[in-house]
Amino acid sequence: MSRKHDVNKEIENEVYCGTLPVLPKERKYGFIDALLVLSGYCIATWSYTQGSYLATLVGFKQLLIGAFLAAIFMLMVYQLPVILSVRYGIDIWIWLRSVFGPKGNKIVTIIIILVNFPWYAVCCELFADSMENLLGLFGIQLFNGAHLVLSLSCVVVGTIIALRGVGTITWTTRILVPLLLLVGVAVVVVGFTSVPMDVIWNYQPQLAGDADKTVNYVLNIEANFAFVITLVGGMAEVPRLCKSEKSGYYAGVLGQGAAGSFFVVVGAVMAIAMQYVTGQMVDDPTLMMATLSAPILGLSSLLLVAFANIGTQAVGSYIYGVMLKSTFKKISYKTLVLVLGVYVAILCVWGKITEYFGSFLTIGACVYAPLAALLFVDFFLIRKQKLDLKSAYELPGHNAYRYSKGFNIVGIICLALGFGFTLVIYDPIQGIIHNKILFMLTPTLASFIFTGVLYLLLSKIPGIRRYIRRDTYVSPDKRPFDRAKVPPRQNIFFLPLMWLLCKMAVSPYKLKIDKYNMEGIKPPFLVYGSHNSFMDFYVTPLALKPYRANYISELEGFENFGEWIYRQAGCLGTRKFINDQSLIRNIARVIKRGDIMVIYPEARYANVGTNSHLTPSIAKLAKMLKVPVVTLNMQGNYLQQPIWNLKERKGARLHADLKCVVTAEEVTKLSVDEILGRISKELTYDEYKYQLDNKIVIDDEWRAEGLHYPLYKCRKCGKDFAMTSSGSKITCKFCGDSYEMDELGQLHSSSGEVIHIPDWYEWQRGFVHEEIREGRYKLDIPVRVEALPNSVNFVDCGIGRFIQDNDGFSLEFDNYRTEKHETLKFPAKSMVSLHTEYDYRGKFGPCVTLSTYDDTFFIYPTEESKDVFNPTKIQFATEYLGGLYS
Amino acid sequence: METDKELESRIDEILIAEKENKLHRMTKRDYIIAAIITAISLLGIIGGFFL
Repeated sequence: MSRKHDVNKEIENEVYCGTLPVLPKERKYGFIDALLVLSGYCIATWSYTQGSYLATLVGFKQLLIGAFLAAIFMLMVYQLPVILSVRYGIDIWIWLRSVFGPKGNKIVTIIIILVNFPWYAVCCELFADSMENLLGLFGIQLFNGAHLVLSLSCVVVGTIIALRGVGTITWTTRILVPLLLLVGVAVVVVGFTSVPMDVIWNYQPQLAGDADKTVNYVLNIEANFAFVITLVGGMAEVPRLCKSEKSGYYAGVLGQGAAGSFFVVVGAVMAIAMQYVTGQMVDDPTLMMATLSAPILGLSSLLLVAFANIGTQAVGSYIYGVMLKSTFKKISYKTLVLVLGVYVAILCVWGKITEYFGSFLTIGACVYAPLAALLFVDFFLIRKQKLDLKSAYELPGHNAYRYSKGFNIVGIICLALGFGFTLVIYDPIQGIIHNKILFMLTPTLASFIFTGVLYLLLSKIPGIRRYIRRDTYVSPDKRPFDRAKVPPRQNIFFLPLMWLLCKMAVSPYKLKIDKYNMEGIKPPFLVYGSHNSFMDFYVTPLALKPYRANYISELEGFENFGEWIYRQAGCLGTRKFINDQSLIRNIARVIKRGDIMVIYPEARYANVGTNSHLTPSIAKLAKMLKVPVVTLNMQGNYLQQPIWNLKERKGARLHADLKCVVTAEEVTKLSVDEILGRISKELTYDEYKYQLDNKIVIDDEWRAEGLHYPLYKCRKCGKDFAMTSSGSKITCKFCGDSYEMDELGQLHSSSGEVIHIPDWYEWQRGFVHEEIREGRYKLDIPVRVEALPNSVNFVDCGIGRFIQDNDGFSLEFDNYRTEKHETLKFPAKSMVSLHTEYDYRGKFGPCVTLSTYDDTFFIYPTEESKDVFNPTKIQFATEYLGGLYS
Repeated sequence: METDKELESRIDEILIAEKENKLHRMTKRDYIIAAIITAISLLGIIGGFFL
């Protein structure tokens, strides 16, 4: 077996084992072990470069604060998400798939390497500097271009070591870390013994005339934030090997914040000492030791530092090579390491990486700060410390993190905006401050805060929340909706915007509003409206203008559009067909504070554009509140968007009648039946009659598509669930009986019979009543159940069983609260109707809902039961059994 | 397929360990200590402006 084959196999194995979750029993590292490993990673010759860079900015005391406190502050925050790596034994690159999507993660990986790998060019530069300086000390003059040859030789040797694979790298690391420690100790001893202590302690940099000390201090803090934040890439794979979250977290913090920072300070001491002795600030430990002690010490250190730089370059190529290999599985490890080598070589040829060290640091931080913010917010505030591991690993059938063809657009946009935000504050190349106030936060911290807040706010928008939280089932919010919460008044500043929105929504349909008996009627009063479609919510505010109002809304709307928006619009959340005493109290509060309370008493959209029976409770409520009762009968809303096909019909025309039917004086005098009679009379409607009478032409070719949901029974063969619809036709699947829907909403049979749609609908109801009376009615089917506990998310309740008979409903499901498979009973007399959907949100298909005080259960058919699940028939039975027709 | 099975069994094992509280989680006290250290570091950084 060839050596080449061995290396490839080793790397394949490393990639495979390197991505698998590490089981708790396999974890190797306690706190000390992890600290040593991470410290080893953080100690490199670039620490000296960082130290000498800081010494050009601030005095020693401020330098200490920056190196230790700034580093620890940033690490304490951005290392927190490391907890997830430890908990699940996964590295950060797996988790990032949830933030960016699997394909987005590939792009982020490349960006991280692009901004991170210049560190290794710094190593090569240091190697070349050391060689040149020391040879110079021995009087050896080098030819032009020797510096480049030396730095490239570091790249070549480092790459060759990396290509030899895991074994060679392990040995390199074992030698490298002690060597670097040895050099560090030597630098500390020489640095502190060759110049008086107070020279270092009281050191202040010689600043140019226009330099601002405060700006320099901020740059010092920024450099330390950037220094620690850009090292996360290489450190991301270690925490998953830790036994406890605490050890992984603090090892990360102290590995960089204490050990790494110590070597930064050592570099600064060395630079200050060299400046004191020679008047020149250097970042080369070999030159310092040769100058401040003896050339022989310099020569010894040369060998150490030379090997250390080559070793660091090799380890870096290996780590990032493996990281790339785990992302780009089809490309060979060898090719990836060579690409990395070429990238470093290009940076060496450019030759200005040391000169632009601060710029490179800040550019790196421009990427890392938003990245760290996204991880932080995603972990703690959005996913609430839970991840769908199977989706993160893209196991078959687990696609929560696929997002948009593998890209999480929201995460990627936040990253890009966070990057841009840093540049708005500070130009790291030219060193120009664009915004001094934000600059005081440091570009890294400002970008961190900006990105984190942006991502969090975006996640509050319902559509975006649903997009990024496709893994809600892993950690759903189970808190029940607070029905008792006092509803705010409709936001006065929100109102003009709402009117504008409503106006825009109705404008294509030429809304006309007529008002009757409304002279002198001022809030508070009660409005009962007809309920046909979502258009009702646009028409009602316009009808009640200039007054503001409160509305009762099903909780589902809160989830769909967001609780904040719904509250601003003055909505009171409730669940349908439950005895909600909190709602009654809130209605009374609204009236008491002098507002309008709008109620849609049918509590469901009209299935075929006709009204439902109203119950006496609405009249009793009016008598209890002792305020005028106004009805709002809206016509055309159903025609514009019937519940059985939510596509908008542009030909529809809207009309609304707002009428005071009971005055404040009358409400106390009239009986419940009299009040109910007046309300029912005004809220009687037939949308197809309205269409025919007003000759409203709706000529969309697809105008009958979906009509088979409410008209499910064949008029000819009498079979249930027999109908299907397409274009402008509704047809029986069994006997072929077919009807054409004309442009005025009438159905025509082939024999010339004309059918009024509500007649067909009511004709079906009679058969259901008969089935119940004869004891033949029973539905017993498997269903898929989802619960809506609040305005935040649905909770999966698995596959259950749904039974409806003369006793009412019985629902079997996985109760997420008790974590048991349970059965809930809903007595027939407890509900006068139920909520139905024909194609929920235009994509989830037909469903019915049942509610308790703390949950609304959305009940969908399974593949097995989809042919016998018809919301209309279930509704007919519910209404009859609930006493609505008795 | 072998990889998927190995992966799935590992994930299940970790999730079971999590459900049974067998993982060494950060405690509330650990978070409080972390918050205190963070606050002290921040105060130190702010103090640095006055040096």
